[in-house]
Amino acid sequence: MNKILEIENLNKVYKNERGIFDLNLDIDKGDIFGFLGPNGAGKTTTMKIMTGLMKQDSGNVKIFGYNIREDFERALENVGCIIETVEAFSYMTAYDNLKYVSRYYNNIDKNRIDDVLELVGLHKYKKEKVKGFSLGMKQRLGIATAIINKPKLAILDEPLNGLDVEGMLEFRKLIKNISEKENTTFFISSHLIHDVELTCNRVGIIIGGKLLNVDYIDNILMSYESLEKYFVREVEKNENIQNGIIK
Amino acid sequence: MRIFKMALLNEIDKVLKKKKTLVVIIISMITIVIGQLSIIGLQKGLNFATVSLSSFPILILSFFASTILLLFTILITIDLFSGEFNSNTIKITITRPISRFKLFLAKTTSILIFISFNLLVLFVTSFVLSIIFNNGSLSIGKFLDLVVAYLVTLLPIMAIAMVIILLANLIKSSTMVFFISLIIILLFKGLEILFPAYSSLLVFSMLDWYNLWLSDNIQIFKIIREFLIMLSFSIMLFIASFYIFEKRDF
Repeated sequence: MNKILEIENLNKVYKNERGIFDLNLDIDKGDIFGFLGPNGAGKTTTMKIMTGLMKQDSGNVKIFGYNIREDFERALENVGCIIETVEAFSYMTAYDNLKYVSRYYNNIDKNRIDDVLELVGLHKYKKEKVKGFSLGMKQRLGIATAIINKPKLAILDEPLNGLDVEGMLEFRKLIKNISEKENTTFFISSHLIHDVELTCNRVGIIIGGKLLNVDYIDNILMSYESLEKYFVREVEKNENIQNGIIK
Repeated sequence: MRIFKMALLNEIDKVLKKKKTLVVIIISMITIVIGQLSIIGLQKGLNFATVSLSSFPILILSFFASTILLLFTILITIDLFSGEFNSNTIKITITRPISRFKLFLAKTTSILIFISFNLLVLFVTSFVLSIIFNNGSLSIGKFLDLVVAYLVTLLPIMAIAMVIILLANLIKSSTMVFFISLIIILLFKGLEILFPAYSSLLVFSMLDWYNLWLSDNIQIFKIIREFLIMLSFSIMLFIASFYIFEKRDF
């Protein structure tokens, strides 16, 4: 298997003593990895470190073999991401926002920008300023900026936030489509178990900043009725271990 | 180098797409025209003031360097730093394959380019109006003096911009950065009045240092001293601001 992402002993502790603790994780090429955990579990912190928005206290993150601390530009060359919330320059048009982002990559021409706008269903609004966009439209633009460079790894933090049911269905279809056609590996965080089960092929559960377990969804569903049952079982197991330590 | 160029292009593009850039340039031009018309009125009506062809652009420079140009520099600097931190749009750029140093350098360079551009607009507008309305002849030497005066004013404004960059990295609120910048500028102006003997050591008092270059007896050592003070001040602030920018979590 080709390792796309390697996280080794990653630590980041906030002043309130929350954060992520000794996180180890490998993502292989072609995975649609679901990073599942409740709000405040450490998903966004991990993703922020991966994409350079935050500095870790210790540990390493390697993307395509490049350490983000030592060779950030090469590590991020083939990465697309949405972290926490979709951001766009409100005084620019949708097209100009994509043009802005595309300058950081090689060989993205006008056609690619048009294609991506078409793919996310924003082509007819491409000359409109983002300040007039609805939440769903902004989310689509966020997805467009995340895939504009045909990333080999897409890191998406709670990408379904703000999408209606139809948008969610389209989004899932889009992920599967891109994964198959462009062989993109996905790292998607979510607190919605059902979404992870439907979208991803591999899942990692994070609670209280600690990664509990990582497994393929097919394997899980052979032993458990649903991902939800597996999640509950893993959380209980973790609580028992913690209680055992306390006792 | 390609990434730096693209980042610079993006930073310039952002400033150009903001309405306030156009507004500031229009205000600058209108103010110059009003200034010129007032001078004509004073000259013809009251026979009060005489402004020559070569002195009008200098008059404009002395007024703008400590008012509109300074205000424009503060606004642009705040937009490119704390403005983006507050709106979270900084995330769009930080998560791209560009090191924080290159991004910081691109933002700082774009501010330098915009100060230069604004000075160019002021120079061209005031010079053209002066040719049309003011009397007197202009030798090549005098013309070069004007060019030098506008060119060297770039340095003190950039030094002040470095103070704003530091504030914009230290303080989260854009409004706070704006008011603290104004307070610091006023404070230094006060110090300049209270302690005139030390004014040549205060960077905020050096906005009119172009006068040193225009003097008949050029004081080369004073020019070098003020140049080195502004340069070292700017370098120190650049390093301090970058340190904060590099360590910052978004």
